[in-house]
Amino acid sequence: MDLNMNVNAPHSMGTTIIGVTYNGGVVLGADSRTSTGMYVANRASEKITQLTDNVYVCRSGSAADSQLVSDYVRYFLHQHTIQLGQPATVKVAANLIRLLSYNNKNMLQTGLIVGGWDKYEGGKIYGIPLGGTLVEQPFTIGGSGSSYLYGFFDQAWKEGMTKDEAEQLVVKAVSLAIARDGASGGVVRTVIINSEGVTRNFYPGDKLQLWHDELEPQNSLLDILNAPSPEPMNI
Amino acid sequence: MSRGSGGGYDRHITIFSPEGRLFQVEYAFKAVKAAGITSIGVRGKDSVCVVTQKKVPDKLLDQTSVTHLFPITKFLGLLATGMTADARTLVQQARNEAAEFRFRYGYEMPVDVLSKWIADKSQVYTQHAYMRPLGVVAMVLGIDEEKGPQLYKCDPAGHFYGHKATSAGSKEQEAINFLEKKMKNDPAFTYEETVQTAISALQSVLQEDFKATEIEVGVVKADNPAFKVLSTEEIDEHLTAISERD
Repeated sequence: MDLNMNVNAPHSMGTTIIGVTYNGGVVLGADSRTSTGMYVANRASEKITQLTDNVYVCRSGSAADSQLVSDYVRYFLHQHTIQLGQPATVKVAANLIRLLSYNNKNMLQTGLIVGGWDKYEGGKIYGIPLGGTLVEQPFTIGGSGSSYLYGFFDQAWKEGMTKDEAEQLVVKAVSLAIARDGASGGVVRTVIINSEGVTRNFYPGDKLQLWHDELEPQNSLLDILNAPSPEPMNI
Repeated sequence: MSRGSGGGYDRHITIFSPEGRLFQVEYAFKAVKAAGITSIGVRGKDSVCVVTQKKVPDKLLDQTSVTHLFPITKFLGLLATGMTADARTLVQQARNEAAEFRFRYGYEMPVDVLSKWIADKSQVYTQHAYMRPLGVVAMVLGIDEEKGPQLYKCDPAGHFYGHKATSAGSKEQEAINFLEKKMKNDPAFTYEETVQTAISALQSVLQEDFKATEIEVGVVKADNPAFKVLSTEEIDEHLTAISERD
């Protein structure tokens, strides 16, 4: 164990984040681990942040950088909404994020997924990775845990899913990534956005299904020692 | 040896006259009255309501684009009485200021803080020769987290006060007389009573019954603190309730 680990190291969100469109809206999903080096600074973080009533963003990379970018864009979108007199579109939110990410690429280290619903285009997902590219996609994944999900999505993604299918896909995917990526963990949070509004859901770690070789969650290994001994077999 | 009238410039820019008056500021107040619109604001127990006339002088104008009632943030509204162009620039600056406040300090700009900012800006115009005062009286409304419903009025002189009820525009004085009678003994109006007091004050002072399309109504309520401009249907309901009551 590294006794010299620096608990004041920059907080980074080794993360798994996902954004998926479905027939009628979008589902955003994320894990909840924020780490400083090997220490888990926050095991129940909220990585899906609200920008407006109808647009949310999944944050990955540097916690500080992604928080500031979100704060600035929320501020700009608020003014834009008041002046426009109607809700901002997902495209505008994504573009504002992209402009900040691109113009400050030397100083920022954050990958973001913008997802939301507006009356013109319906549900949309935009991926904005490290350098400030803007790509509109039917689904996208990000963060360190996403490396383990490319093959999974190639096989499991399909066009025109229902809301429940999409959410189950997202929860399963985050759960798989948490199982394999040390920098992702904690709980799974999802945010569903459609014409009716926004629904936030929460899946605690012990409610997720176990994958190959994972142990059952238990309070203490003393439970094993205190378990009653089985009857000896009669050979 | 005293000079009679300060070289005659005391009427042209905002410097004092020998009697201690600022003529430009007084002319600004006259500009507010000259616009020909009257506005009313009433504060109830848990809501605030502002009402103004919607005069569309030209038949060719698109009625939906004529407004004096502006959202500043989700929670703050501003009713501008007087010169429309001056009103728009004031609203634009107020919106920027309130949004920056929220971003910088992390909480919503309170009603009195915004009103003070508007009043301070107006005061600067009364001292600088290069800028004239704005010909606008601004009524700011919102629900304060600690103090509840708030109604503030800011004028070209740089004054701002909180009000239980107030008025601005051409029939300001008559409206204030009417409201003083209604607000005697500090009644704690419900939301419906607040709106109806405001609308009936305007009707009484202008001596005409309105159609829903001839007035603009803005409200904030404690149970739903977002600033809301009432639709024509909602205004109609209140007008019907008033005429049934009388």
